[in-house]
Amino acid sequence: MFGKLYNWVNSRTGVQESLEEALYENIPGGSKWRYVSGSMLVFAFMTQAITGIFLWMNYSAGSQNAWASVYYITYNMEGGSLLRGIHHVMAQAMVCLLPIHILQVVIEKAYVKPREFNWWLGLVLMKITLALGLTGYLLPWDQKGYWATKVATELAALPPVVGGYIQKIVVGGNEYGHFTLTRFFALHAGVLPGLLVGFLVLHLAMFRKHGITAHSSDKRPDQMFWPMQVLKDGVACALLFGLVVWFALIHPAELGPPAEPTEPYGAARPEWYFLFLFQMLKYFDGSMGWNNEFVGAIVFPGVLFGFMFLMPFIARVKIGHALNVLMIALVVGGAGYLTWEARQEDNYNINNPADIESAAYKKAAKFHAEVKRADTEFELIQELVKDYGIPLEGPLALQQKDPYTMGLRLFRRQCASCHAYNATGENERLAIAGPAIAADAEGPMGAPDLYGFGSPAWIQGLLSVGENGIGSASYFGNTSHSEGEMIAHIRDTMWAEAESEEDKKNLLVMVEEVSWALSAEAKLPYLDYAANQEKIQSGIDHLNDDTLGCVGCHNYQENEFGYVFTLDNYASSEWLTTMISDPNQIYSEDWGTHNDRMPAFHSEATKLLTADEIELLVRFLRQDRTLLGTSSAIVNPIATSESPEEAAEEAIETTKDLSGEESAD
Amino acid sequence: MSEKNNSSADESRRGFFGSFSAVAAAFVGAFLGVGPVCVGIYAFIMDPLRDKSKDLPKKSRGTGADSEGFFRVASVDEIASVVPRRFTIVADKQDAWNFIENQAVGSVYLQKSETGDISCFHTTCPHAGCSVAYEQDSAAYHCPCHNSSFQLDGSKLEIGGSTNPSPRSLDKLDVKVDDDNNVFVRYVDYYTGKHDRIEK
Repeated sequence: MFGKLYNWVNSRTGVQESLEEALYENIPGGSKWRYVSGSMLVFAFMTQAITGIFLWMNYSAGSQNAWASVYYITYNMEGGSLLRGIHHVMAQAMVCLLPIHILQVVIEKAYVKPREFNWWLGLVLMKITLALGLTGYLLPWDQKGYWATKVATELAALPPVVGGYIQKIVVGGNEYGHFTLTRFFALHAGVLPGLLVGFLVLHLAMFRKHGITAHSSDKRPDQMFWPMQVLKDGVACALLFGLVVWFALIHPAELGPPAEPTEPYGAARPEWYFLFLFQMLKYFDGSMGWNNEFVGAIVFPGVLFGFMFLMPFIARVKIGHALNVLMIALVVGGAGYLTWEARQEDNYNINNPADIESAAYKKAAKFHAEVKRADTEFELIQELVKDYGIPLEGPLALQQKDPYTMGLRLFRRQCASCHAYNATGENERLAIAGPAIAADAEGPMGAPDLYGFGSPAWIQGLLSVGENGIGSASYFGNTSHSEGEMIAHIRDTMWAEAESEEDKKNLLVMVEEVSWALSAEAKLPYLDYAANQEKIQSGIDHLNDDTLGCVGCHNYQENEFGYVFTLDNYASSEWLTTMISDPNQIYSEDWGTHNDRMPAFHSEATKLLTADEIELLVRFLRQDRTLLGTSSAIVNPIATSESPEEAAEEAIETTKDLSGEESAD
Repeated sequence: MSEKNNSSADESRRGFFGSFSAVAAAFVGAFLGVGPVCVGIYAFIMDPLRDKSKDLPKKSRGTGADSEGFFRVASVDEIASVVPRRFTIVADKQDAWNFIENQAVGSVYLQKSETGDISCFHTTCPHAGCSVAYEQDSAAYHCPCHNSSFQLDGSKLEIGGSTNPSPRSLDKLDVKVDDDNNVFVRYVDYYTGKHDRIEK
């Protein structure tokens, strides 16, 4: 019955003849495993087209939505991660198959007459495949794709006279923006696959016209394409697919933090298969006049490609073929070597841990630090997306309100020249190294480590002596205050007077209690004040009783005879805001203390930071991740019978009390 | 019957383009094949090259450059002595179909010499377009991409035996200061990879 159906279809369509035409191609010398590379490339492309189409159904090519849509595909969509993973890995597999196929064709002499045109068609197909890789990399619109492509489009301007026009056409205008992404997407999903299919049809037609290039010495019997070669092709493709899926599962396609044109990205690298070009660019430094960037990026690759184009003609000469094989081997080998070298340079710090002082080590270490920073930024935005969702304006709008992401950047840029932020434990990803100060350096060059500022642990360290005490680099050791009254009091009065072990233990307890009392002034959101009420109360008593000698200099609550800054609201949000905006309101000349190097970041005279930026920094320092634009939660460290409304009112009152003025705006 | 045979025999003798209808067919065919493509290609090529300043909304508030292309970037006191600081250029931006106010459109490094002269450097590396970063430890600008480095005055620096592939020194931008100590920078982009400094 089935046979009858088939016969009817065949009589109307002639499908039998077409199939036989396609499948019963004679292979002189029989089917071979080394003939599978071309079919594998076709299979790879088919996989890309199919996975690409399904990705297309969920992707949005606008600069506001692209990252968000790829995020959705990777992390929310059912099966999305695998889909994207296969697309990502198969692209790389396709690039790996190219040199294999080329080498096989060259060595088997399948590029010489009469197959010149097929060779040229193959070269065009190679270019299209590489262009697909280049255009695809930009589409997630993350930092790594953005900056890698930026370099490529900058290079597009290198040709003389027309370079500027080429760049504008590629980028879609004067600057990167919506149009760059839409152009690249149209190229990647429409133009290039269309061209590839067209050229592939021609390539296959040419191939069928001339047949397989078989060795005349091959004595094995001929075979038909179907079934033996198809089987070999199928097995090879199945292995390839299995490998690709396995890779995609163990190493899913990653997404970097969203693209930001004005945020520098120190981990910018192209996809690995372009690393050889990346590495090559470093050598064309113009030192010999002719070896400038234009030559390195355009002329030299152009010459190589031109050579490949001429190979069928070169082979006409006696040693021509041998020369061709040698050249191809050199090109592939050279590219491989440069790829390896690029990786080595980036991993110098891992491979040469002893060479820590060298420039190469520092550069590699910096690269790895930047990669880690990018990973951290992605982690942070992922947390935000999970908590708040991506708004219409895109992920950047969310990121810019995040005290952690922005705080990290602001601290690094504005504070880290003096302050360290040695975050530990859970917060280790937020750690920022301070300035590198040699142990024997003279003069004040640093500032306190601000991790945990205002917490009992931090304050306790401040009130201690020894390796991590007030005189150490973590506190005031590298500042002009190392010669000041506070250190003298802590070291030479407070701790010096505790002579016996018993005295020391008692002092430690009192210091801890005072630390909690002062920390209560800070109202930090991550501390458990409720469980430490007794310590807080004892600390308040010690302060009021002047047990440790604090209120002789500092005002505190009812004690008003101090001549340096008040301890009320110490390390609170308002205090920190004032300290950053206009530190001379706290370290005031009038009070006999002085600030000799902390700049005013938002005062009448200088506005290095906006009020919003300061708010972000303050929240960062207080480990308060409330988004900008939302009020922080009210913290009530001291258990009272006040209602939340009364506590809120009191909070407003204390803001006005700070140094007698309204809080800095 | 014989007439038909004759005319087809005639045509084969006259060749592919022998008859008027053949030429006409070729012409029309070429036009049909190429026409739609030309329309598309025209837009593809000409739109990025046109002057987009007419796209700007007429009633926007206009944070941006003055008539000579200077942007207000900072006040003199905000610029540190000797140590360069990074400042963002903020302006309204037309990106294809969107108008976005107060966008960061670029960044520069500003520094003050000991004599108080202010110099301004573009953050884009003149080699291939990555962003350079100033590092205090080495008192130099470093590009994270292809080993370019620059000294405080912008000149090329060779570090640790590796080559510096930048075709020129770090790009300086024009600075002017008004009576109220506002610092203005003429922010422009330059083509990378070229020995000469050419504005885009």
